[in-house]
Amino acid sequence: MDINEIQNIVEDDGIIFLTYGGFLSQSLIASMTEALEKEAESNDLKMSISNNIFTIFIELSQNMMNYSKSKDINDNSIKPEGLIIVSRDNNGNYFIDSRNIISREDKDKIEPKLIEIDSLDLDGIKKRYKELRRSGKNTHGKGGGIGFYEIAKRCDKIEYDFKEINENKFYFHIKTFLLEKKEQL
Amino acid sequence: MENLTIQATKYTPEINLDTFGMISLTGKSYPENTFDFYEPMMQWVREYFASSPADETVVNMEIIYFNSSSSKLFFDFFDLLDEVKENHRISINWIYDEENESAEEAGEDFIEDFENLDIKLVVK
Repeated sequence: MDINEIQNIVEDDGIIFLTYGGFLSQSLIASMTEALEKEAESNDLKMSISNNIFTIFIELSQNMMNYSKSKDINDNSIKPEGLIIVSRDNNGNYFIDSRNIISREDKDKIEPKLIEIDSLDLDGIKKRYKELRRSGKNTHGKGGGIGFYEIAKRCDKIEYDFKEINENKFYFHIKTFLLEKKEQL
Repeated sequence: MENLTIQATKYTPEINLDTFGMISLTGKSYPENTFDFYEPMMQWVREYFASSPADETVVNMEIIYFNSSSSKLFFDFFDLLDEVKENHRISINWIYDEENESAEEAGEDFIEDFENLDIKLVVK
């Protein structure tokens, strides 16, 4: 991806808070979260918005880190890497965008969740989140399977897209929107 | 039984477990392996209630933000408290900053999920 393409991701004359492409590790995610905290602070962001940005950023980047681990040992072709961008447009809307390569197995796990989330309103998402958290009792999976519901609770809109690379690999793109609330009018 | 203290990191809270009846978690929570990270705490809490706990146990949780697996872990932690509450007096304070709406909502959700536990929302 060239730099023009990154600029196109940010609509109008928006501001990029953070962009990273490459190998992900937990300590890197923590440092980037810290950088986001500094940005939020210097932009006087309300805690209610900034905490949602941090949480979505953490979920998406930890997902990217983990996709590479969920496969069998014989296939080491997916690395814990991807592209993640946090940005804001002129209207005060925030976007968190992530792109990476996933296995078909992960696509088959993720897609039904995203389809379900798309069919629910916010109350429905919150209800489902609590149901899944309760039913997942004692299942010690990586994320407990509620990560996308956590993201959905904290943003206004999710767009996503899977593009097939070959029969085992897909490009996965997900963009979350935190829209400036109209209630302030 | 000995007290257990775990220092905070950039992505894990400070944890203080005191046999005098105090369990406290303060900070952020998004470990890479959440269940592994919290296992020593969960183990301590299980042993504590199985041995000779204080007359009253106070749980203070002040988590600024957290990932979804931490949310799951906190659910399991409350579930553990729920299982021992018949024989022990436990009061839980879910502490958050006034402006931290998502933390407030998370506390309200836990109150709904564990209606038999004494969970209080405490604004800092």
